[in-house]
Parts: sequence; structure tokens; C-alpha cells
Amino acid sequence: MVRIIFILLLLVFSESIASQQYVVTKIDTSNTENLEKVIITGTRTKRILTSLPLNAEIITKKDIQRNNSSKLTDIINEQTGLITISDFGGVEGIQMQGLDSQYTLILLDNQPLIGRSAGTFDLNRITLGNITQIEIIKGASSSLYGNEALAGVVNIISEKPKKGFSGEISSSIETNNSFENIANLSFKRNDVYISIFHNIFSSDGYNLNPNDELRTVNKFNNNTTSLNFGFKINNKFNADINFRKFDQKIDNISTNNLSGESEIEEENIHFKIKYKSNLFSSELNYYASNYNTYEYLNDISGILYSESYYDHYLQKPELINTINLKNSKIVFGLGYKSEKLERTYFNEKPELNTPFIYLQYDQNLNKKINIIYGARFDKFSEYKSQISPKLSGIYLIDDKNSLKFSMGYGFKAPDFRQLYFNFVNSTIGYSVLGYNVYEELINQLIDDGQINNILVPIEEFNDVLKPESSISINLGMNNNINDNFSIKTNLFLNKVINLIDTRIVANKTNGQNVFSYYNVNNVVTYGLEANSEYKIDNNLKFLLGYQLLYAMDTDIQNEFSDGLVYARLTTDSPAFQLKKTDYYGLFNRSRHMGVFKLIYKNLSHNFDINFRTRYRSKYAVIDSNDNNYLDKYDEFIKGYFISNLSFNKYIKNNFIISAGAENIFNYMDPENIPNIRGRLIYFKLKIYSN
Amino acid sequence: MGKRFIPILFFLIFNCSSDEQIIENLNFDSVVNLHAPASGGQGQSTDGNFTKFDFESGMQTMSESEWDIAFRTTTIIVNGGSKFSDEEPERTGNAGAYIYNGAISEVSFASDEFIQQDTELGYAIPTGSGNGWYNYSGGPNHIISPIPGKTIVFRTRDNRYAKIEIVSYYLDAPNDPNAMDNESRYYTFNYFFQSEFGNTSLD
Repeated sequence: MVRIIFILLLLVFSESIASQQYVVTKIDTSNTENLEKVIITGTRTKRILTSLPLNAEIITKKDIQRNNSSKLTDIINEQTGLITISDFGGVEGIQMQGLDSQYTLILLDNQPLIGRSAGTFDLNRITLGNITQIEIIKGASSSLYGNEALAGVVNIISEKPKKGFSGEISSSIETNNSFENIANLSFKRNDVYISIFHNIFSSDGYNLNPNDELRTVNKFNNNTTSLNFGFKINNKFNADINFRKFDQKIDNISTNNLSGESEIEEENIHFKIKYKSNLFSSELNYYASNYNTYEYLNDISGILYSESYYDHYLQKPELINTINLKNSKIVFGLGYKSEKLERTYFNEKPELNTPFIYLQYDQNLNKKINIIYGARFDKFSEYKSQISPKLSGIYLIDDKNSLKFSMGYGFKAPDFRQLYFNFVNSTIGYSVLGYNVYEELINQLIDDGQINNILVPIEEFNDVLKPESSISINLGMNNNINDNFSIKTNLFLNKVINLIDTRIVANKTNGQNVFSYYNVNNVVTYGLEANSEYKIDNNLKFLLGYQLLYAMDTDIQNEFSDGLVYARLTTDSPAFQLKKTDYYGLFNRSRHMGVFKLIYKNLSHNFDINFRTRYRSKYAVIDSNDNNYLDKYDEFIKGYFISNLSFNKYIKNNFIISAGAENIFNYMDPENIPNIRGRLIYFKLKIYSN
Repeated sequence: MGKRFIPILFFLIFNCSSDEQIIENLNFDSVVNLHAPASGGQGQSTDGNFTKFDFESGMQTMSESEWDIAFRTTTIIVNGGSKFSDEEPERTGNAGAYIYNGAISEVSFASDEFIQQDTELGYAIPTGSGNGWYNYSGGPNHIISPIPGKTIVFRTRDNRYAKIEIVSYYLDAPNDPNAMDNESRYYTFNYFFQSEFGNTSLD
């Protein structure tokens, strides 16, 4: 059983810390929920969502609570056009507008989270117990956020305490012996607040293949603790300190004979001092984060077989200033990002220091038009420094309809692995070498007599590896047809160049290859996204969302056009040439994705029921007909629907009893989709003060 | 209205032409389950004999000199040039090869200018996944699969020409081989042999 002990230390000052920032543009919508939706990620100032020129979404606390989502993956998958994709080791990362997890920046309270496994940020790490909203910006956002914000940004905003004492505990039990316990306590006075949050989650994992003794997801448990403290220094100055710690232990079982454990530990600390007057506000931030992992395997007799570690540090002081003018707002900021990584398979301890500066001008040309333009400069020592501009605008046609446009530049700098890797596969014997250490390491291998021949001249590594970069365009329209019916549509295009891939650069004497990284692919993703909402009455609401997506490697497309790609249906039928239209695009992308939600609230009996279903059309993860590319003759993983149902009963403003089922129709495809478990049933009880 | 029929017409034409291709395929000779074993293993030096093949007879041969090409696991050598490693058979003829990017039926003649021979530095037909005629899937399946649209054009030891299309590396050429059930190192290929000396036409 779980025991949580909290010690509250309260300090007393005077006056209010709550401060309301003004909003640039007001738009009158009949939907009261939308009216309250304020987003900060788009501009680093508070903006009403419907007046923001960007392609943005907000997931509210209400949504999270109604769905009983406990992990970020649960709720992300229910957003139009967003999906989580599982990668090695059971991690699940976001795919946004057809771009991989490595191109989406994940923020927690505006600060970057680190710790990626081969580029994938595992969203299962983020508990939703103390989250007030999740803000999603689709489209390149490097003009404010720099590195990694190539496809977009997800910003997880944690809850701020309410006045007085408040507390909340909840406990839930789910299939697979999964337990989650949450406690959240806070106190706030005019001049000070403190809050403590703790979450414990444990699960036996699951096994989709009963013939296999290895489990699909091993037994694990994790803890999240966060501690927030803030006070008012005087009328104009506030200070905040936030601390968060996450740790996770997973059984690590790789074969019947080898087993061990894998541990993750993450700590973040954020200090903030804020100055605010009517005209000017300024925020001085210091953020530091450490993400480290350790895993080992022992053989049957308990002797260490293998171990590895990973230890990543980030520090980031940043000053953000906002000037409020009559019809415009200027945001300018500067900072310094410093990263350091120590890990297995690295010979050195690389450091990366990036000073940056940005400026954004947010202007209301008149009552109907708002334009935002800005740019950020990131100075890199290891590769080409980046200037990331962005331009966006919104035109309010009338109080019900608006048009939006945004165009921006995004980039992702080569990560430490791509630059410094020195990896030899112990069973097969191939090597992967990072770009910056290639020359040194290949010469060592040559000296050791391990290299048979060099396929790519070593001089090619004298140039620097370029950051992957994109231009993205979003064109959107919001229409409130009437008080009960609204449609949001958005067209998007991302043109990504210099994608980094591996290639064989040399042959080893053992018959295996040496791989290294290079800039090669050019990818384009484009499509359409539509969301509609239909309110039948105050109790019943439908939501329908759809995304059409084309994600293509343009170089591969050219190979198809040039007639260089062939396929064969069976071994006794001839190979035939494929056409450009036979190319299906990138792996693991579905052409069609959709969500449908039905939300029913019974106000007289205080309960709600909601049903959500999501659809993903066919996709493929491997090339099954051996021409290296995905074409329409390959084997595809069947499209599928996953449906979830939840029920919440509210009692006396202090209790919520919840029950529900995820994947109620028990859809499974164990061979192809390991992260879709069967049906999950849960019960949850929450007690809270009001 | 007329425009609508155009795609349908194209569709019909395309379907017809692929039917023709199947018929055309019957014009090729084929070799089924040519066994190309080796002692030793992946990643280690393999020894043991190569399985030699003679285009004229269309059969395996034990002859030391009367062979055109030879197979050992995924490696294919030609009877021309020089040895890459010591235990290989002596090259006695003028054979050579190159890989043409296209279906076997599209190769209408051989070009001497592309033909390479084996050397001390490497083979005329490159080895390694994606480099020559096959892809290797890696773990967990470890499948060797011929890349569709890779036709190997050969000059024989005595200056005649041939083209081959490898369709399988597994016994009885299953459509969906797996390393557990299907025995590897059995070549199935289609080929065309031009018996006239010096004639590069392969139609």
C-alpha cells in the first residue's frame, strides 16, 4: 500500500499575487468554454485562443477529468491529427502533422523537458494529476523556442493553487494490476502560495503474446513529486520556485536467461522572478534539469551481463520582457542554454552552449486584423547558427468567422548521439559512429586493422552536419455557423530539408558495416485538419475531427518518377516498374485519422458520460516487398478504431466516483501493434475540498 | 464526359501489359533450388567450395575451368579477373558482370563498358545489404531477399552474354520466407542466355 506524508511549511506575506494580464484581441464567441480558453505558448503572452493566428489547441483540465486520462499519451491520442507512436523499449512519442516525436518540443510550464530515447520523448512519463491545461501549437515555432520546435510545441501547464487551503486525493485501480494514487495539497494567501503534489503509479504491464515468456510491457512503477512555492516581494515583484522529480523502475527482461532493471530519474528546478507594471513586465528565469537512466542485465547466475547509463544536464537562464503599448505588444528575450551529456558509447563528455535572443512584435492593425512577426537567433558553435523567423496573422471577418495564416521556420540541431556516438553491436559486430568523432574513430579502426575498405571519403566529414530544418505553413478558418455549431479547418504544409539519416560509410573485416550520419532526405508533409463541434442542448455535445495527411520523402518520390523502383508480387511472377503514384510515403503514417466524441452531462443528477472513438487508417512499418520503400504493394497494418467510455458521478461537491473502459471493443493486433493493450477497465475515487 | 474514360482506359492498358509480362516471364529459363552452402558463418571467413554454374548447359558443374559464375551463400563470383580471397576457385575465363537497375525483360542487350570482373579488392557483384542483388532484413527475422528490379547482366567465360533475375534465396522459393521454417542458401533465378558468341543481344 501507498503512504504519502506531506509536510507543509507556510510563510506569510501580504497582498495578492494573482495578476491578470490583458489580452490583445477579444473575440466574441457564443461558446462560453472557448471564451475562457487562454493560451500562453503561442506568443509567450496570454492570448485568447480563438484570436490567436496560429494553429493551436487547448486540452483543458475538464477534458482530462472527464476522460479520466492519467497519462499524457491517453489524451494526446484523442486529439485530431495527433497520435502517439511506440518505439523501442515501449516509449511512446507524439507524431504531429506527420512528423516524428524528435521534432516536437515538449515543455512543462514553458520550460523544455529533456530525456529522449533515440529522439523519442516518452509521453508516458508525464502524469496529468496536477495539470490544468495542455497547449499545443502545430507548425514550426523556433521563432520563440529554438531547437526542436520544428513540427510544433506541446506545453503542459501545471495547476496554480486556489485561495485558501485545498486538497485532493484520488485512487484508481485498473486492469493489469495498475494502481494510481494521487495527493495534491495547496495553500494560498494574498501574498504567498505553496503546493505539493505526489503521484504513484504501478502496473504489472501486460503480455500480448501468451506463447512468449517475455512480456510485451514489463512490470514497472513510477513516482512524480512536485513542489511549488511562490510569494510576493512587493507590489511589483513576485518570485516562484518549482521543483519536480520523476523516477521510474522497469523490470528489464531481454531473454529467458537475462534479466535486470532499468531506471529513469528526472529532476527539474525552476526559479522565476517577475516584475510587472502596466507598461512593462519582465521575467527572469533560471531552469535546470537532469535526466538520467541506468539499466543492467544479469545472467541466470546473477553475474552482470551488460549495463548502460545516460546522464543529461540542461541549464537555462532566460530573461523575457514584454512591453504593452496601445495596440501592440513587444516581447523580447535572451538566454543561454547549456547542455552536457555523459553516456555509455561516448568517448567524450560533450557540452553544447547556445546563447539565444528573440524578438516578437504583436500588433493589432485595426479591430479586425492582428499580425505577429518575430525571429530568434540561436548561436551554435558545433554547427551553423540559426535564424528562425515567423509571421502570422488573423483576420476577424465578423464576430463568428475568422481566417488565419502562419508561416515559420523550424529546426532541430543534430543531437549528441548523431555527433558523438561510438557504438559497436556486441552480437553482430557493426559500428555506428557519430559525425564529429568519425575521423578520429575510423582512423583508430583502420589502425586496428578492422576496416576492409572505405566507401565514403573521410574528408566528407570535414564539413559540419547541418541542422534539420523546415518551413511550415498553416492556413486556417474558424466558422461559428450558429450558437451550437462550429467548424475549424486548417491546411498545413511542412517542407523539411537536410533530414539526418545513417548510411554505410565503410566495410569492416568481419563482414559488417560502419554506419555514420549524414544530411540527406527532404521530406514534405501536407494535409488538412478539420474539427467540428455540435451542441444539441446544454447536456449533449458531439465533436468530430479529421486529418488527411500526405507525408512523402521527395527524393524517394523522384526515384519512383525516374522508374528506378520495382516490385514483385510473388517469387514466380516478374518484377515490374512502379509509378510515382505507387509510392505511399513515409512509414508509420496513416492517410486518414479521425476522432469522434460524445459528451453527455446530466446536470440534475450530477453525472456525465462520455464516449470517444478514434480511427487510424492503414499504415506500414516495414517494407515487405524488399525494394526499400513503402509502396502500395507492401503489406499494411490494418486501420482500426479504438473506443473509450467513461462515467463520472459527482457527489456533494466533494467526491467523484468514476468508472470506465478503454478500448471497450477490445481491438488488438498483437503482432503489429504492441502498444494497444486489450480492454482496460478502471474505477477511481477522488475526494477534494472545495 | 470523355475525360472520365481516360483513366479507365489507362487502367485497362496497364492491366493488359502486366498480364503480358507474366506470359513473357515464361520465356526465361529458370534454375530452381541451386544450393550454395558454406562452412563457417556470418561475420567469419567462410571456406568450402563455391557452387559453379555453366550457362551453356544451364546446370551446376564441377569443372575447374568450364564455369561462368559461382555461388557461395550470398556471394556471387564470376570466372574472370582475379581472386578476392585465397580459397576461391582460380579464374580461368573472361567472365564479368554488372547490375542493371530494371526488370529482366527490360534488358535487351549487354554493354561491355559496364562489365566488371572480380579483383583482389572486391567482387564484380557487390556484397552487403542493398549494395548488390539483395536486402538483409536484420533481426529478428534475418531474411535475405532479392531486390526487385535488379537484373545481373553477365559475360560468360567465353564471351557470350546472359542476364539473370534472382527471385529467392530459400528452398522452394516461398513467397514469405522466415528464417525458422525455410532453409536458406538455395537460389532460384530466371535467366536468358545468348548462345551466339559475341552477340550482346539479350532479347
